Amino acid sequence: MSRSSQRIIAAAIGILFLAAGFLKLIDPAGFAIAILNYHILPWSAGVLLAVYLPWLEILCGAALVLRIGYRGALCVTAGLCAIFVIAYASTRLRGLDVECGCFGHGVHRGFWLVLIMDAALLCALVWLLKADMRPLSPVVRANDPAKP
Amino acid sequence: MRTAVRQATFILLLALLPALATAVWHPRRPSWQSDEVTVSAARAWGDSVLWVDARPVADFTRAHIPGAVPLNEERWDEMLHGVLDQWDTTRKVVVYCSSLSCDASLDVANRLRQEENLSNVFVLEGGWESWQKENP
Repeated sequence: MSRSSQRIIAAAIGILFLAAGFLKLIDPAGFAIAILNYHILPWSAGVLLAVYLPWLEILCGAALVLRIGYRGALCVTAGLCAIFVIAYASTRLRGLDVECGCFGHGVHRGFWLVLIMDAALLCALVWLLKADMRPLSPVVRANDPAKP
Repeated sequence: MRTAVRQATFILLLALLPALATAVWHPRRPSWQSDEVTVSAARAWGDSVLWVDARPVADFTRAHIPGAVPLNEERWDEMLHGVLDQWDTTRKVVVYCSSLSCDASLDVANRLRQEENLSNVFVLEGGWESWQKENP
């Protein structure tokens, strides 16, 4: 796949993270509730995450769109997605029925839909990271309008 | 790979600054103090507790903690006055829902604090399920 396509996909994911971050930032108290409902973290850690995570998502989203600190942002967002997939899957194993909190508090979606979407997002981020680290072949480089 | 780690570390650290500002100044910042209370701790408060049942009305009608007042988000405006009528500054509000896995009590407690400016609002750990275990 060409570099242009990679850039479009990265920008789309970046916009997704920007939206998720801003929506969480509207109501950190509500987001803290969403985190605490997972019953994984103690209260203070949940609160800390509720004020920190929205900004981390906004910064990563901006980095993916603007391609500043691009590779680092890919690593962070992939890590966030991986942690989320494990945490969210664990709720079902523990018999809990919680909202994901992905776009702030109060938005309920189906368990499997959320899990599949986040797993797909994780795959896309890992793929983008691998593609970014792999040097382009001379032929692709010559035909790629988005070459550096 | 080294670039990725360096950039990731920078982003992780950079996010701390606005997060700190959010924790201090955001009008809807979360409380750093846990608002969860166990059944035994809440019972020890005696008559000063105002129990608020955040479960659906059908569950409340079936059974509830003695003296509890129903208040859920679906019928918030209709039921709120029932809570406010019984509340005064000396009382501790303890909100409960069905069990450990429900989040209605956290939501109701949050709204009572944020929208009605009530202080001393707590959430019953384990909800109605815990109450039943300790009061068979």
